[in-house]
Amino acid sequence: MSDRFDSLFGQGLAILFALGLGALVILTVDESPVRVFVTLLNGAFGSPERIAGTLLQTTPILICGIAACISFRGGLFNIGIEGQLFMGGFWATWVGFSFNLPPALHLLLAMAAAVIAGMAWIAIPAFFRARYKTNEVVSTILANYVAILFTSYLTINWFKRSGGQSETPPIFESAYLPELFSFSRLNWGLIIGLVLAIGVYLFFTRTARGYAVSEMGANPKFAEYGGIDIKKQTFLVLIASGAVGGLAGGVEALGVHHRFMEGFAPGFGFDGVIAALLANGNPIGTIFTALFFGALRSGSLLLEVDTTASREIITVIQALIILAVSAQITIRRKASDSTAGERRWKF
Amino acid sequence: MPLAIELKSITKRFGAFVANEDVNLAVESGKIHAIIGENGAGKTTLMNVLFGLLQPDEGEIWIDGEKKNLPNPAAAIAAGIGMVHQHFKLVPSLTVAENVFLGMEIRKGGLIDHAAQIRRTAELSRQFGLQVDPTERVGLLSVGIEQRIEILKVLARGARIIILDEPTAVLTPQESRELFQTLRGFVAQGMTVIFISHHLEEVMEVSDNVSVLRLGKNVATRPTAELTKSDLVQLMVGRLVSFDRLPRVASVGKTVLEVEDLWARDDRRLPALRGVSFGVRAGEIVGIAGVAGNGQTELAEVLSGLRPSSHGSIQLNGRTITGASAREIRAAGVGHVPGDRLVRGVDRNASISMNLLMGRQDQSPWSKHGIINRAYLLEQTQALIKRFDIRARGPESTAKSLSGGNIQKIVLAREFTGDADCLLIDQPTRGVDIGAQESIHGEIMRQRDAGKAILLISVQLDELIRLADRILVMFGGTIMGEIPGDRVDEEEIGMLMAGVVPEAHSNTVGAA
Repeated sequence: MSDRFDSLFGQGLAILFALGLGALVILTVDESPVRVFVTLLNGAFGSPERIAGTLLQTTPILICGIAACISFRGGLFNIGIEGQLFMGGFWATWVGFSFNLPPALHLLLAMAAAVIAGMAWIAIPAFFRARYKTNEVVSTILANYVAILFTSYLTINWFKRSGGQSETPPIFESAYLPELFSFSRLNWGLIIGLVLAIGVYLFFTRTARGYAVSEMGANPKFAEYGGIDIKKQTFLVLIASGAVGGLAGGVEALGVHHRFMEGFAPGFGFDGVIAALLANGNPIGTIFTALFFGALRSGSLLLEVDTTASREIITVIQALIILAVSAQITIRRKASDSTAGERRWKF
Repeated sequence: MPLAIELKSITKRFGAFVANEDVNLAVESGKIHAIIGENGAGKTTLMNVLFGLLQPDEGEIWIDGEKKNLPNPAAAIAAGIGMVHQHFKLVPSLTVAENVFLGMEIRKGGLIDHAAQIRRTAELSRQFGLQVDPTERVGLLSVGIEQRIEILKVLARGARIIILDEPTAVLTPQESRELFQTLRGFVAQGMTVIFISHHLEEVMEVSDNVSVLRLGKNVATRPTAELTKSDLVQLMVGRLVSFDRLPRVASVGKTVLEVEDLWARDDRRLPALRGVSFGVRAGEIVGIAGVAGNGQTELAEVLSGLRPSSHGSIQLNGRTITGASAREIRAAGVGHVPGDRLVRGVDRNASISMNLLMGRQDQSPWSKHGIINRAYLLEQTQALIKRFDIRARGPESTAKSLSGGNIQKIVLAREFTGDADCLLIDQPTRGVDIGAQESIHGEIMRQRDAGKAILLISVQLDELIRLADRILVMFGGTIMGEIPGDRVDEEEIGMLMAGVVPEAHSNTVGAA
């Protein structure tokens, strides 16, 4: 219990430190840090519409974060969530505009396409990791570029909407993920993300299979000794992570854009990985870190309107936070004699 | 004889652990001096002190008759000491000559003089009989040649005293012989060699003098010619202190575990088991004795499904389990107390209850429909903490918060309470305090008397004598002989551990 408090407290401190450094950066561009932070808060939470906007940005980060949590818990690093998201987004859209089906069925099929696309996109790295111990960080990162360019190629060369931008035709309304409120594009994706976070948390803390995955992540030799099939489980964990990554793309396509275009979802996959890291791989914690990143993203929109600071300042602050928190985690890990377990949350 | 090195009363502690205690060591100049001892006897620590990698807490280092202070390896190199580590530190993409002169490049006009480096490497190679091609890239070379390059690096830095830390561990027998020849060449040129090993054969073969370390102390330094291999073993493992065999009630039953002509390779793909055969019956403890590193660990790993065998068969209750997975072997009724309990035996960061769950998480009543039965787990954990006397604050204490003995009790509590017919127990009391040792021994005896077939691997002879009904002695991956647990002859077991079959020895060798 005190362990958990220590960890949260340390991370809160790290974020404050990063914001302090960010304030210095803001001073160098002759802007008042207080004004920037107030504008950010106002932009993120100043009205129901803005809160909804923040949650809209939070949703894909959260789902991608959960995808990352799944792999982290098994001691694996799926950094290819961005690519899985692009593939999921594209194929969900494809099902959305290629077929004309009854509403619920159409949505379900489009979502399934997203999940399958995500799984397919991680299948090769997952197989090589499980079978030959090929470093999954490298292979999943590389797969990102292929996914982003491949979906862009498909969009421009095969499915481009006639006479428009580099985007596909819009999907049929029967494949829309319903919106939650009339005043925002915020949709059921958020609910899916929250349910998924709780579900994944319960899976890892309450089920036999979740226990097996957790132990594989904590001490693979112990897991192997206990009779857990490391190869098979490694493959399955990565596939599950890819499935959720694909789902994030499906939610973004079917809930927000209703089409697929170039630059479909910039950086959500990476933000999700970072949100999950900041939360120590805990899906419940990821809800809050994803919200934090979502707020930074949506707050920065008002920033450009109301202050002289550019929204790139947000990227700088984000980078500082990541730096401070990873430094804090490293110090904690060095201070403690243990290695792997430090990242894990308790039962 | 002048002394190349004299260590006086060296003591080195790591926290509460004493790695070297009051070690005196005199190494004559122009000789090959072997340092032998079991894993963890303090050999490497002592050499790291001598090479300036570690600072002794007490004691003095004298080199060539002068007292030296060695705050870092650079000082040791300046004093003429060179060290060839167990793990090589070479850059694969550079050539042999570039590696030899890495960090001390020969320069001409601010640039590296490659021609001079190649020339100098070739000279050294000729002078010391270490054949290498100076222009070849290291990444393409075999381990044996990499070792030559490491030695050349040391020579290029002007070493007159060369320390080799387990140099043969990575070599094939042929490469080892070549290395020994090189070492003899060194001493012929007046250099001094310190050779660390736990292999008796090579120590006997190559060294002039030998020092034996045991539990951090130097227990003997003698001319090698005055000693036999079994003398060395006895010095390494120590005299037997007690012969108090524990009383036993039940008698043995039918054969449970039957191993026939089992072969397997170690992590370096070298043969670690060479045709091992034996049987273990219900209600019997069969002990495996031997100097560490003679195939015992590999035997336990193969039997528990963690390492593949290359030949032979394993049967459990008449069913062949050769090649089965760890999961299948567990399900077939084998429990395993691993030798490296902190690595394999527990998840140190997990609670006691989560450690007790391992291996049975899919079984009812531990879980139902895939959901862990937390109430049952908690109840069982509390019962096992009581029964095995695990000293912890509660079921949620993490394993790492406990002492070594109590961590071992978690492993025993898990492995002894399943429905296994056969228990593989590897080094049950290594690093465990006396009190916990007693209770662990008692628990093993209870398992025996309950009719379990037990294979007990230990490097501690007195432990085997206390518990085992029969003792098999392993050497070089084979079983050298069998000794009844109640008639242990120290001399005989020492010879078997050294790989020598005593002439008067009339017991059956191998199979049960």
